[in-house]
Amino acid sequence: MTAIKVYRFDPDVDTEPHYDEWDLPVEPGRTVLDLLHEIHYFRDPTLSFRRSCRSAICGSCAMSMNGRTGLSCNTQAKPLLDRDGYLVVEPMKNLPVLKDLVSDMEPFWKAVYDVEPYLQPGKAPKGPYIVPKKRMDLLKIAQDCIMCGSCLSECTSREANPDYLGPAALAKAYRFVADDRDEASLDRLRQYSEANGIWDCDTCLYCNEVCPVHVKPMDAIMAMRERSIEAGIVSQGAKHAIAFYETVLRSGKLNEFATANKSLGLAGMASQASVAARVILRGKTPELRKKKIKGIADVQTLVELNERRKRKGAGR
Amino acid sequence: MQRHDVLIVGGGLAGAHAARTAHLAGADVAIVSKLSPLRSHSVAAAGGINAALAEGDTWEGHAFDTIKGSDYLADQDSVEILTRAAPDAIVEMDHLGTPFSRDEQGKLFNRPFGGMRQARAYFAGDRTGLALMQTAWEQLVKEGITLYEEWAATSLIVEEGRFSGLVAYRVSNGALDEFQARACVICTGPGGQMYEKTTNAVTCTGDGLAMALRAGCALKDMEFVQFHPTSLHGPNILITEAARGEGGIMRNAKGERFMEKYSPKMLDLAPRDIVSRAITTEVLEGRAFPGGYVHLDLTHLGKDRIRERLPEVYQFSTEFADVDPGEKPIPIEPAQHYIMGGIATDNDGATNVPGVYAAGECACVSLHGANRLGGNALLECIVFGERAGQAAAAFARGKGQVAGGTTVLAAEDRRVDELMKAEGGESVERVRQDLKRVMWENVGVFRNEADMASAVEAVRALKRRYSNVSVGAREKKFNYALLEAMELRNLLDLSAPIALGALMRRESRGAHARTDHTARDDANWLKHTLAWQYGDRIEVTFEPVRITRWEPKERTY
Repeated sequence: MTAIKVYRFDPDVDTEPHYDEWDLPVEPGRTVLDLLHEIHYFRDPTLSFRRSCRSAICGSCAMSMNGRTGLSCNTQAKPLLDRDGYLVVEPMKNLPVLKDLVSDMEPFWKAVYDVEPYLQPGKAPKGPYIVPKKRMDLLKIAQDCIMCGSCLSECTSREANPDYLGPAALAKAYRFVADDRDEASLDRLRQYSEANGIWDCDTCLYCNEVCPVHVKPMDAIMAMRERSIEAGIVSQGAKHAIAFYETVLRSGKLNEFATANKSLGLAGMASQASVAARVILRGKTPELRKKKIKGIADVQTLVELNERRKRKGAGR
Repeated sequence: MQRHDVLIVGGGLAGAHAARTAHLAGADVAIVSKLSPLRSHSVAAAGGINAALAEGDTWEGHAFDTIKGSDYLADQDSVEILTRAAPDAIVEMDHLGTPFSRDEQGKLFNRPFGGMRQARAYFAGDRTGLALMQTAWEQLVKEGITLYEEWAATSLIVEEGRFSGLVAYRVSNGALDEFQARACVICTGPGGQMYEKTTNAVTCTGDGLAMALRAGCALKDMEFVQFHPTSLHGPNILITEAARGEGGIMRNAKGERFMEKYSPKMLDLAPRDIVSRAITTEVLEGRAFPGGYVHLDLTHLGKDRIRERLPEVYQFSTEFADVDPGEKPIPIEPAQHYIMGGIATDNDGATNVPGVYAAGECACVSLHGANRLGGNALLECIVFGERAGQAAAAFARGKGQVAGGTTVLAAEDRRVDELMKAEGGESVERVRQDLKRVMWENVGVFRNEADMASAVEAVRALKRRYSNVSVGAREKKFNYALLEAMELRNLLDLSAPIALGALMRRESRGAHARTDHTARDDANWLKHTLAWQYGDRIEVTFEPVRITRWEPKERTY
């Protein structure tokens, strides 16, 4: 028998959340959902959590288990217990709690709606579209998304900026950008390049890691960044990336001053003055003239090789 | 109170299509759904959607396979509509954005499926239902269709012999409300949770079927329940038929490819009823593995092909059975999967109650007769979802609203209140588990008179126990215990016609296999059953099968 701790909270009644504990047998093969069902059916029917398919395809039961978000239905309980010595089940992060493990999905869906999540085709052919497998396969990193919210729950950029669209919405966005049948890809890229879009991801990789169906939201976001630069879409993020690239290519180091100058412009630089002042006050003054690093020739060769590989079409 | 022209109950694949079609026809449409639409069980459909789209294939070929698969119980005019419309349905979904799998040249791929003489199942990996559902959902967003999500409909309101609205329970705050409309389309999908072993989601409790039965709609052919041969042993998670379509082979504990005995021609790709009986026979005759399962072997396909074509099978086997299908065979056993029967409708989804329509798994047109072929259910959701949506919008046009739902709302309010306040009674889950055992053991893969008669009696007894349950939770917000109690009532209401229909039908046909009447009996039983509820009593009437051009023949594979 093992003690399972479960988060309990009704914001209308409780001043703060608390945890309830139950002793349950945890045999191999039992999922976290099995344990929650046992509690709900036989110990405490007031425990609330969403679930439906119990086979990792409907996306209802995302929650945090020992601090990491996933689906309770395909998370085996015993390996977690063996690894950590405890089992704590909590609601998703980055979303309001409605009751116990039930999260308010409204902000999640709103971000998805914001990316205009439907095909915007041109004139359709008589039969099915002709789209070679290789092109259709571009959707693979995003198309299986079950909208469970696990990625948003773990998203560090979203934690810092609640207006950031987040990984699931952007993966959905990419699914249309990469679809040869969609005629609005360019407009989409422009839209997603604005504030709170593709350039707001801080590339922490958590979304890729926690996705229970192996979608790669961060790869999708990076692919959209590349496409937007290739399409010459001018945005703060693109300018920053290009400036970053150029200074590193030149010296092997990041020139903060030059990068900021290029991506923000003079007016933008002025707005960053207080940041600069604080940085200097703390003794973190960047060197203004970058000396080239020792292996700069190797760096430049690597970049050149990658450029050539991309020109050959081996990239995304 | 809410008011719309047309209400769609359930937001799965059929519901989404019905909603879109009725909306495009100019009706003010709203979806009332127990789940958020993308959580619907349509997403669990894996392997494919059938259409005679390949060169040389014909709709007649698709129709014949479907009718033979149904053991000649399907209504042939309905099957003609389905199979003629199938190629356009695929093209339509492709145009709306479904990422169907393609070959190097860019044409749609297809693969063989059980009971089809030709490869005609189109797919998106092995997550075809998910892909189609995403597309349907995207269109709901695009069209801005009103959505009442996490509202569980509890009863239909019929006034002056016509549909006038429904009552629904809001899960988030416990409110009951009346929705008025001139027509509704019931698209609540599966209801297989009365079986101990089932691939259905926990939420598949046949709410729409039970609601319709209570409101005076007939349920057709409810005794025909499909058992999917390959569910993961233990958790009964669906291992798609596509695994066999891609070349998977089943073996018993002696290593024998046992399907050679049961279906020399189609082997592992025989229709589901035949394969499920074959596995069950192997188990009963002691040739299965201890615990009652057989092996589904994919190892010869290689890990790469499995991951490319069957990623979900790969994921399910590793996560739920700790088996890498590239290295070891998957342990599988039959489990309830689909109900061929449902709310009796005509070819436009209309029921016997004016203004009430139904489509998808909860409906029975009948397209699947005594046994459904894989790949035809997703197709039905699209083709007949659209037809029902169209017809419901046309019905609503120019008709006045019938009012008068207050007594129904008050009655529902009382019922919920009593359910919530009852104390000291039995737990809902105990009754549910007993029901699941009764149905699995007595109205399962193989059936006989004594078992089924005992099931009919047992369901009656369980209904009496139900009147005494206590929910144990009085909260208004997200009171899932209360919702489960309401769902159990629906499961009990549906189990009665399933058991009774099965008991009455003294023959074996398709998925209805009796050990005491082993042959098909066309002279007496080439007909549909219709179950009607009057108070506590179920009455069964009969209806002829509509045969157009395919005369019933012996069904061998």
